[in-house]
Amino acid sequence: MTDTADVVSAPSFARFRQSAKVLHEPPQFLDQLPIAIYACDAEGRLCWYNRRAAAIWGREPKLGDSRQVFEGSFRLRGLNGEPLRPDETPMARVLATAKPLHGKDVVIERPDGSRLTVLVHIDPLLDDAGALIGAVSCFHDITRMKAAERQARESERRLRDLIEALPVAVYTTDAQGFITSFNEAAADLWQHRPTLGQSQWCGSWRLRKHTGELMPHEQCPMALTLKQQGDFRGREAMLERKDGTCIPFLAFPSLLRDGAGRVTGAVNMLVDISDRKRAEERQKTLVDELNHRVKNTLATVQSLASNTAREAALPSDLRATFEARLIALSRTHDHLTNAGWQSANLQLIIEEILAPHVAGRHHAIELSGPPVDLGPRQALALAMVFNELAANALRHGSLSSDKGALKIRWAIKGRRKPVLHIDWIETGGPAAKSPDRKGFGTRLVERSIRSELNGTLDLKYGKAGLHGVIAIPLV
Amino acid sequence: MQRNWPQPSPLRGRSVLVVEDETIISLEIEQMLQDLDCDVIWPAANLSQAFKILADHRPDFALLDVNLGKERVFPVARALMDLSVPFIFSTGYGREGLPLEWAGWPVIRKPYLTSELARAILPLIAP
Repeated sequence: MTDTADVVSAPSFARFRQSAKVLHEPPQFLDQLPIAIYACDAEGRLCWYNRRAAAIWGREPKLGDSRQVFEGSFRLRGLNGEPLRPDETPMARVLATAKPLHGKDVVIERPDGSRLTVLVHIDPLLDDAGALIGAVSCFHDITRMKAAERQARESERRLRDLIEALPVAVYTTDAQGFITSFNEAAADLWQHRPTLGQSQWCGSWRLRKHTGELMPHEQCPMALTLKQQGDFRGREAMLERKDGTCIPFLAFPSLLRDGAGRVTGAVNMLVDISDRKRAEERQKTLVDELNHRVKNTLATVQSLASNTAREAALPSDLRATFEARLIALSRTHDHLTNAGWQSANLQLIIEEILAPHVAGRHHAIELSGPPVDLGPRQALALAMVFNELAANALRHGSLSSDKGALKIRWAIKGRRKPVLHIDWIETGGPAAKSPDRKGFGTRLVERSIRSELNGTLDLKYGKAGLHGVIAIPLV
Repeated sequence: MQRNWPQPSPLRGRSVLVVEDETIISLEIEQMLQDLDCDVIWPAANLSQAFKILADHRPDFALLDVNLGKERVFPVARALMDLSVPFIFSTGYGREGLPLEWAGWPVIRKPYLTSELARAILPLIAP
């Protein structure tokens, strides 16, 4: 501390100018002052001192002793701890120059070795002719203040070191969003060093939403947080550097408040997620490639079967049956792929499977039931079942007639052990007859429902048409 | 054989560019297009063959497989746009697999039926 005007105003001794009396007749109130004070003559001999001065020195030096000049303390040191020679002391300098010295920090060492930091103000004393006759020094103990200051500086430095050591970009702003500090990781990420107190909201050149659209700085997560529009921690965005490179990141802005709860600024952490994005991209490419291979393999099988059938002059409906089965399998794969092989929607699967069979006859079809998510295995098995039932309806059942109709209704019954009930109801076509011989289609339907899906199947061949009742446990 | 497209086929007498890198699949597509009464079918297994065909012929429409192994079919798609030749993509990815530039363009998912191919192409062919 060098400017002490706010701490204590240096007493002026100008009024003592007229007389050298002050050197030998100290004012009576000195001992009542809360500040230490002493006077020296022009040779630096102690003329007087008050109680506070003796308390700080930790001793009561003899007056007028020419062996100890300038100082009443046992030893004086600079702030760096080095002892001061007598001619280096503040009093010696004032007496040498006849100029006042205000706000000087020195360390007083007491006889017991303890040290105090004091703030010193010294004024020269001049006689009527303007000649130097001595000086008055007043000083006070600022040891605790200094220690608190050092502690504050130390903890601030520790905090800075900590933030600097973090591998993620961190910066702070004031309440208006002007940047007050940033770490090296932030400068690295931005590839830019923003001007403190001038750059606002974020140190990046440009910002974009994660979709790629430009995002004005005053609408970035940090700005919205400072405008107290909500919690934007974990928000994804992209920053663009001057060279055009774009870095996707997650922002974690938080408000900073003082003891009274007032917002003093905010701190933001920017986490670079380029690696994660690249990994996601790679995974998508792999999945696309895998789907491409699977679909090309199915298309190849389709071609081989179809051309072999042509060559052997096999009936064309045999080829159609085969193709329909292959397509049903493939389309269900598509649905499962779109949902990451987690689940597939029952209605979408039914629509997909029926589409090639009922092209142009949608009015004859009625689907109704709540949304149901099927597991991959259930979806694939049910898709093949619906394909067989639809192919049969087209060939022998209600869809073989222009007046025929098909209703598929489903519902989930039971909470703890939910069971999916599906009714397949054909009407308006020829009467249904139990097949004389169980073909592949019938066997596929029966085994899928009963064995693979652990369900029950009841195929009723009635006059109005086929009524199939399917029940499968969902868990 | 089930023929649920209009008779006679509106594709009768049309010429088609088929870009497909896998021989067995391209043979089947050719067969399907013949079943739909298309007249001339130009098969191309890669970009350079496709451009060679386009240098001499202007097909009525085109069927483009997206993934041609090392290449993607998009340069041919752009050339067809310039020539105002209608086309659809065929892909194993589904619609989600198309890049942003072609988002929403007609796609037919492999494998497909002849009837589905006919339904995908018909809207592109002016009556």
